[in-house]
Amino acid sequence: MLIMKDVWASYGHIEALHGINLEVHAGEVVCLIGRNGAGKTSTVRAIVQDEIRVMKGTVEFFGKSLVNLPRREVIRSGIGYVPEDRRVFASLTVAENLSVPRSYGTSRLFDLNEVYELFPKLKELRARVAGVLSGGEQQMLSIARSLLTNPQLLVLDEPHEGLAPVITQQVIAAVNRLKSKGVSMLISEQHVRLIRECADRVYVIDRGHTVFTGTVEELDANTEIARKYLMVTRDSITSERM
Amino acid sequence: MNILVRHPVVAGALAFVASASILVLANDVWLMRLTELLIWILFAASLNFLISFSGMVSFGHAAYFGLGCYGFALSAKAGVPIIVAVMIGPLVATFAAAIYGALCVRLNKIYFAMLTLACAEITYSVIHQWYDLTGGDTGLTQFAPPSLDLGARGFALLVLACCAGGLLVIRLVLNAPLGLVIRSVGENPGRAAALGFSQRQVQWVAFVIAGSLAGVAGTLYSAFQGNAFPDYAGMRFSLAPLVMVILGGLGSFFGPVIGAIVEKGLTGVLSHYVVFWELIMGVVVITVTVYSPHGFWGLIKRVINKGAPRG
Repeated sequence: MLIMKDVWASYGHIEALHGINLEVHAGEVVCLIGRNGAGKTSTVRAIVQDEIRVMKGTVEFFGKSLVNLPRREVIRSGIGYVPEDRRVFASLTVAENLSVPRSYGTSRLFDLNEVYELFPKLKELRARVAGVLSGGEQQMLSIARSLLTNPQLLVLDEPHEGLAPVITQQVIAAVNRLKSKGVSMLISEQHVRLIRECADRVYVIDRGHTVFTGTVEELDANTEIARKYLMVTRDSITSERM
Repeated sequence: MNILVRHPVVAGALAFVASASILVLANDVWLMRLTELLIWILFAASLNFLISFSGMVSFGHAAYFGLGCYGFALSAKAGVPIIVAVMIGPLVATFAAAIYGALCVRLNKIYFAMLTLACAEITYSVIHQWYDLTGGDTGLTQFAPPSLDLGARGFALLVLACCAGGLLVIRLVLNAPLGLVIRSVGENPGRAAALGFSQRQVQWVAFVIAGSLAGVAGTLYSAFQGNAFPDYAGMRFSLAPLVMVILGGLGSFFGPVIGAIVEKGLTGVLSHYVVFWELIMGVVVITVTVYSPHGFWGLIKRVINKGAPRG
């Protein structure tokens, strides 16, 4: 459904991506991993045309080019986007936040009831002003809000960024629930546990280009990649698994 | 008292009945003052809709107020029936807001504010210099019967109805799906774009709504004063509602109501007894901005919440 071929992109004069290749198929959960500054967020932004400009290469979603489209058009074409800072509309209540999105997809998989079923906590908090929610609750709200656009692909940029470990568990559970519903996802992530539990395939990004593509097992087997680009050893992967 | 804050519809209905009763009972002097105050409340509320909920600070909101005045005055002078002329005023303002808005919403923050100021100055200059049409400095007078032939009290009640109607429109819009989108864009345009909304389109709609309500206020002001002067589209008329919004409290629905009462009350009293009254007004605005960013409405809410039973 999503294909990026040899994508070069920059913020003004500063080049951030130097040849990204990536594919996401229907029903798949794909994780982008890499060190800080490797280009994960830039890759996500190149898909949704957020602040970054694609200079070379193609970004296609169901055969339609997304390059230089206004961000709203990208979203309307069926991509749900939860940015890194997960900012909610702080002055609006949870229920109002969830009333803002319009459904652009044809599937109508998610409506308000479905979202409340996925995130029961949000139903309890629906009358509360979103600005006072915890980081994890805001992340849930942010994901729920994007789901209400009924996207064919959900793009999550570092959903665990700045969250406490106990909240991280809730986000992993939420991603797993979405996966079980067949929602295709592209997740930029550093959290090894989420990658292990959810990812069908993994892309390792380094210095703005793709250096590895494969399953989690293939990544495990490739100690050279783990050591060189992720600064993790087999031991640390194993301990994380435990 | 706390119940009124929690149920704004009940508070609004009570305020409407109380205001109508006051207008019925008021003497002529107070009737004039209150009528003018109600027009200012509507004008300030329209600007507050733009600033507090749509995320756009306008320095040139008087353009639509002034065009409302002149739209009404010129059409009445041309012999159009008064009932039609009263509608032409807001329509002219709405049309101008649609044109200016399409230009202004292309920019953000201070650039947006400066563009609104430029648009207002263009409007002021055209009104000021197009002598044959607008009468220039001398303005327009005697184009409509005093108080639209309704009598001072009847006219005051009409103004009250328009003011309440304007506030109700703002309230309904804010709570409608459109209003939620406007508030979302006002709070975080980038995040709203991540949900597929066009910042410009949404802000343009909000700009036109605010402009048309300012046009209604302008039309009423022109009918109330029985004249139309270029000043009505000038800087002073852009700053006055801005001061009201700040004094009342940014981000609140009732802020401009309180702000207009405080501003007009202070201006009325101070200008009577103090020569340099504007200096004192300036100090008040600075003090409120620094020490009570939520304005007088914020203070009132704090007092009410303090008095409310806990738990």
